[in-house]
Order: sequence, then C-alpha cells, then structure tokens
Amino acid sequence: MSVASELIRGNTETIILAQLMKHDGYGYMVNKAILNMTDGRFELKEATLYTAFRRLEDSGCIVSYWGDETTGARRKYYSITDLGRESYRLRKKDWETAEAIIDKLLSEGEGESI
Amino acid sequence: MNEKLRNYIDSLFADAPQTVRAVELKEEMFQNLMDKYNDLISQGKSEEAAYNIAVASIGDVDSLIAGLSEGRTVELSQSSRKRNALFISIAVALYILSPVPVIVLQSTVGLMLLFVFVAAATGLLIYNGVTREKYVKTDDTMVEDFKEWKQNSKQKNKAADAIIGSVWLIAVCVYIVVSFMTGAWHITWLIFLITAAVVSMIKGIFMLKQ
Repeated sequence: MSVASELIRGNTETIILAQLMKHDGYGYMVNKAILNMTDGRFELKEATLYTAFRRLEDSGCIVSYWGDETTGARRKYYSITDLGRESYRLRKKDWETAEAIIDKLLSEGEGESI
Repeated sequence: MNEKLRNYIDSLFADAPQTVRAVELKEEMFQNLMDKYNDLISQGKSEEAAYNIAVASIGDVDSLIAGLSEGRTVELSQSSRKRNALFISIAVALYILSPVPVIVLQSTVGLMLLFVFVAAATGLLIYNGVTREKYVKTDDTMVEDFKEWKQNSKQKNKAADAIIGSVWLIAVCVYIVVSFMTGAWHITWLIFLITAAVVSMIKGIFMLKQ
C-alpha cells in the first residue's frame, strides 16, 4: 500500500481535478469520493489534500468559496476553472504517455533482448 | 469529542502565524475532520476509534503550515520619495519668497500676492502629506494591521501639522503687514489670539475625523 501511494502521489493534483470535473466539492467530500472509487484502498492525507488545493488555487486551476449551509457547518468548496479543465486534460495525457512507457518497460518476455 | 478534535487542531496550528488564511485553513480542516468523524461513528466505530482514525488521516501538516507565513515583500518606490522632496522644496521656496511682492510693490496687490504664495505652498504641503504612499500590509497578521493603522494615523497627523504650521506662518505675515500698514500695534496682536483659536478648531476637526 505504501509503495503504491508513493507511486500515486505524483498524480494527486490530477486526481483532485478529476473529482472537481464532475462537480464542486469540499475537502472531505473529494476524499470520500476517492475512497469510494477505490473501494477503500486509497485515500489522501488531509495535509496532502490541502497542499494540493492551495497549489491548484494559486495556479488558477480551481477557485474556492464558502458555502452557506443551513445545517450549521460552513464548508469551503472548490470549483474547477477553464484553466483547470485544460490542465486536467494535459495531465491526463501525460499520465497516459507515462503509463504506456512504463507498461512497455516493465513487460516480460517480448521486446529486444540484450 | 467535538472539543477534543478542536483542541487537536488548535495544537497543530499553535506555531502558525495568526493570518486570515491560517484561520480559514484551520476552520476548513476542522469541518472536514468533523465530517469524517461523524461518518465513522455512523459506520459503527466507537468514539475513541473514530477519533484516532480521523487524527491519523491528517498526516504531516508542517510544510502546509510553514507555507502560511510566506508573505509578500513590499518595495518603497524611489519615485515617491523624490516627489516628496520636490514638493516640500517648492513649498518652502514659496514661503520664503512670499514677502517679496509686498516689499517690492508696497501695495495691497503685493499683499494679495503674498497670500497667493502662502496658499499655494500650503496647498502643496497638504497634497503631499495626504497622497503619501500608504503602508501596505505584507501579511494579514495583527502586527501588520497595527503598523498600517499607526502609519495611517501618523499621516492624518502630518496633514494636521502642515495646516497648523502654515496657519501660524500666515498669522505672522498678516500681523506684520497689517501692523505696518495701519500702525495700530496696540491692537493688532489680537491676531495671535484669533490664530490660536483657529488652530484649536483645526485640531478639533481632525480629532473628530479620526
């Protein structure tokens, strides 16, 4: 698990952007969606989540606003911007490229022999 | 348990700067942690277990909190300092030159020119004092708020000082000119009493404004 999360870490921002592509969300909501999508196998640490939120906000990929919940809790929501959508597409393409390369490099048997 | 989570978050932020951003982050973290905690309770976890899982999920916040104290740096512009110097020099020159028309022309026209000179110089000083660069907060901390407040109140005082200073100078000019022209030295000193009253009024107006 720890090795896997190490491998996933580089894509934290892309993962968050992917969640926000669907709809606006607050910290726990995003993390819970990630947890559910991976059947409880992966979850971001809070610190990682907020660091990524801040970086994304500073670079203009997302914007934040405070929701006004009538049920007491006021939550900070994040919303993806056009720049964020563009960034998400680029990052996804990068990942697909990397994935293809790693798949090729890690495959057994086929390929040129040394 | 609510309190326990709150205390834990407080302890994490103990060394964080007291900025708006830090307070917001703290509130955001607390809210999300409460959501998680409540979720775990509804899944049948015990209070103790839910608290431990929630706290363990926070991770290392050191770099996150360290990032809060990165303030923007402010540069004092060189051009504004030059402008200040220029305005003050012109104003002082005008004050010094103001009696020249009276001496040369020896008439009421000269006297009027004196007032024009003094008015122009005073106007320059006030304009310069009021439009001086304001202190820009480098961060949202209390210390910076205080510095800004201090700088702003100092600026207001400067405007008041400039006006009061020029009022006294004008009074001296008026006293000398009127005395020489009318020869009524026994009564013209009253001008200073009137000036004192006017100065007190100006001070009062500035205090009311603040």
